[in-house]
Amino acid sequence: MQNTADVVIVGGGIIGCASAYYLAKKGVSVIVLESDGSIGNGGSSRNGGGVRQSGRDPRELPMVMWGIRHLWPTLSEELGVDVEYTQKGNLRLGKTETHLKILRKLTDGAAACGLDVKMIDGDEVRRINPYLSGEVIGASWCPTDGHANPLTATLGFYKRAREMGVRFLTGEPVTRLQKRKGKIGSVITPNNVYAGEKVLVAAGYESRVIAGTVGIDIPMQKVKVECLVTEAEAYLFQQMLGTAEADFYGHQTKHGSFVFGGSTGLEPCNIDNGTPVSSSIAASCICRGIMKYFPALSDAKIIRTWAGWIDECADKIPVIGPVEEVPGMYLACGFTGHGFGISPGAAYSIAEIMTGGCPPVDLVPFRYDRFRAKI
Amino acid sequence: MKRYDLIVVGAGPSGLSAAIEAAKRGMSVAVFDENAKPGGQLFKQIHKFFGSKEHKAKVRGFRIGEELLKEASETGVEVHLGATVTGLYMKKEVVVRMRDGMQHWKGDAVIVATGASEKMVPFDGWTLPGVMGAGAAQTLMNLHGVKPGNRVLMLGSGNVGLVVSFQLLQAGCEVVAVVDAAPRVGGYGVHAAKLARCGVPFYLSHTILRVEGSDRVAGVTIGRVNRRFQPVPGTEKRFDADTVCVAVGLSPMSQLFKMAGCQMRDDPKKGGEVPVCDQYGRTSVPGVFAVGDVSGIEEASSAMIEGRIAGVCAANTLGFCTEEEKTAALAAMEKDLDSLRQGMFAPQNRGKDFRTTEEGVKISESLLKKGYLTDTEVGTFPGVVRRSGVHPVVECTQNIPCNPCQDVCPKNCIRVGEKITSLPEVDPAAGCVGCGMCVASCPGQAIFLVDEQFEEGFAAVTIPYEFFPLPKAGTKGTALGRNGKPVCEAEVVKVTNTAAFDHTNLLTMKVPRGEAMKARFFTC
Amino acid sequence: MGSVNDRSRDIGKFSEQPDDDRIICRCEEVTKGEIRKAVHDGMFTMTEIRRYLRCGMGLCQGQTCAGLVKGIVAGELGISPSELGPATSRAPMRPVPMKTLGNEKGGGY
Repeated sequence: MQNTADVVIVGGGIIGCASAYYLAKKGVSVIVLESDGSIGNGGSSRNGGGVRQSGRDPRELPMVMWGIRHLWPTLSEELGVDVEYTQKGNLRLGKTETHLKILRKLTDGAAACGLDVKMIDGDEVRRINPYLSGEVIGASWCPTDGHANPLTATLGFYKRAREMGVRFLTGEPVTRLQKRKGKIGSVITPNNVYAGEKVLVAAGYESRVIAGTVGIDIPMQKVKVECLVTEAEAYLFQQMLGTAEADFYGHQTKHGSFVFGGSTGLEPCNIDNGTPVSSSIAASCICRGIMKYFPALSDAKIIRTWAGWIDECADKIPVIGPVEEVPGMYLACGFTGHGFGISPGAAYSIAEIMTGGCPPVDLVPFRYDRFRAKI
Repeated sequence: MKRYDLIVVGAGPSGLSAAIEAAKRGMSVAVFDENAKPGGQLFKQIHKFFGSKEHKAKVRGFRIGEELLKEASETGVEVHLGATVTGLYMKKEVVVRMRDGMQHWKGDAVIVATGASEKMVPFDGWTLPGVMGAGAAQTLMNLHGVKPGNRVLMLGSGNVGLVVSFQLLQAGCEVVAVVDAAPRVGGYGVHAAKLARCGVPFYLSHTILRVEGSDRVAGVTIGRVNRRFQPVPGTEKRFDADTVCVAVGLSPMSQLFKMAGCQMRDDPKKGGEVPVCDQYGRTSVPGVFAVGDVSGIEEASSAMIEGRIAGVCAANTLGFCTEEEKTAALAAMEKDLDSLRQGMFAPQNRGKDFRTTEEGVKISESLLKKGYLTDTEVGTFPGVVRRSGVHPVVECTQNIPCNPCQDVCPKNCIRVGEKITSLPEVDPAAGCVGCGMCVASCPGQAIFLVDEQFEEGFAAVTIPYEFFPLPKAGTKGTALGRNGKPVCEAEVVKVTNTAAFDHTNLLTMKVPRGEAMKARFFTC
Repeated sequence: MGSVNDRSRDIGKFSEQPDDDRIICRCEEVTKGEIRKAVHDGMFTMTEIRRYLRCGMGLCQGQTCAGLVKGIVAGELGISPSELGPATSRAPMRPVPMKTLGNEKGGGY
């Protein structure tokens, strides 16, 4: 088995798969190592599918805006898989004056970065989405936001990269990295050793453990969050939705089902049994959240619930870029639960920087060594 | 949160049995079942069960269900119906949908007895209305009183396919064929024989090529398959049918175990994905047990014992019974279970190709291919003797765990012996009084009374008869052979039914003496 | 699956079969041909097949088709069906309307 390539990617999620794809497009040979039996089994396949700019930290905005302008619109065609990208806007809903205050702050910040986003009142909200309850008194509205199918997008990147010669190995957990002569050397799994000129660690929360084996620590924690999906329903609306209160978010998929995520407030204390099993109370909580906004959905049947881990970074934005202390090593992790929409832009940028090119956006805000004590 | 010592998911035979044993030992037990009625599949089992007294042999399935429910209520088991367990979460918490809301409960132990669902095979037209699981047809008939169709083709010759085919006949449907891709009948030969003598044709080594119809089943074409199960061109045969029943096996509904994080195994012998468990039903997650079909497809009799075993083990684990008590209880239960898991159809013998019985009698190829014994083969079995006067003829030809015939005979004419899978022997010297208890009690309806000296030139043959309308004495008709073909003219001499026969009528018909060993069914 | 699965290994070329248009997953109307094609697109596990095609994600959650899909995928990969791990099972085991699921009686954390 040929265990060397120009680049070894640790992690077969959407970041790993998309980076492999953009690297392969540049003629780089790539091996992707995934610890799980299936590709994209972490947050990549478990998120709510938002492809969203509004509501983001301004440091992330240029990257996600660039991706939405340049990559998402043609992605299905490029990958040969329908990623169900739908650009029909995002409503972030508020029910109280406090909510509107939060939304106004986010909107002002995003508008300052050049994003087309504004505050609208309750009537205008219901003109865009007539199914919303009268409890909604306002929202932020970003018409260029949207959503896509995380399952087919992740597997689409995988499929296309595989066709282009990227070698994917699943069931191959990386236990540690090994430096050689001061640079990144090998990637070690229980039964094999892989070597690459460059190594990209894009393994979600596990990146912290893996990077730790060469002395690099990224301050992040594992947070378990939950989603649910209804059976296919008649077409109601196409926007991506979120709330100021963060009690739910989601959209109606091309298939007709509604995918919604939400929170119980107990997330930082959630436990699991080795796999991200749903908690007994989250789905009910999410349903109550949804029905406050969408009474019309109260008869929709929930057919499935699931949970996933977020790699929540200390300052809530990812780490993307080279690790100067370990030449040849790159990181792309800590996406903090909003990594899906930004993933093509992030992966494209990574591929650029790993091949000596110029990323379309400045990666400085994402540096691995940015973390400081507060005083 | 409300907590029980034991939560049982599924009020079928195994779940109820587990609950009863646990409750008997002082545990607080709640059983949840999504159906409106308890009993799982038992309440649609209108036929008599096999086994011995300990296994409630010769009792009809639904009666066993009634007995279990009574026992559960007497022991203080709380049975919640219309209560769907939607998830088995961490810390042995179950969430149950009851009416318009969700309830949360925890159990110190959880026994999952969710049973199985029917497998399907895809063929052209398999999604048409009118194609259904055999179990679904059984539910329609026996629980809801609805005829599933008029002309039914059964795919699958295992016990489910054979039993349901017979019940379809009882419900007034025509069974146009029993079809199976396997070269031999999969279920008990006695079940096949019941169908064959009613004229149902068997097509082994055949499969459904296509089901016709635009919005419902309008016809079925089958064809022979070769050893690699590929269709042989030119062997197509079309049936005018409006219903296709599929009885190709069951698949465990083991989702709750996967969700709870139990170690799973894909075991074709057990029907699919099952939790890895020990002989007491303990899964890899402490306190979570699996019993009944969900732990591996078997039948209700063994499921009930498995349930009882798990119930005792749960009680022991949680300190409700001593180690000694457990050991004693399990010894008896394991003995019962072991006796059921013997013979040609035992789980460990699945797929084995037996050529002779344990006694060394050659297995009838005709039975395995066409569903009936030939007239010459019949005489080779120890239950078939000819002598003067009325006497039983036991056409039981495979080693299956069953012995009511021995138990019910007041004159000890029939002997099975210690090993309940042995072929019944008829003692030619014992004095049969013609009471017919053996005929009515045989769950396989394989026992007949023959009196070759009934009248000058005529013999009397008494057959088990479970069809309506019931012919009256004096009715003239035709005697059919084991193959369902007319043998001779026949006249009903009497039809008897007593409480002890439990709804199996005994129909005695007069046939020419020479046909006494051939005539096995009556039609008019 | 515990062992390393090389997604670049040669599983042969996809070739059409006469029954490719037969529906296997009734709930989501996924055909045999789509499943076989997905394997050649690199979907080697039940989980990937499910996420790629939606088969087993409908109302019955794969109780009817999982075994059939497994057989087809295993056949295409030239392995035994039992080598393919199980697809995940998720609550609720039966579809539940939102208003019912949101109506918790008793319980708590």
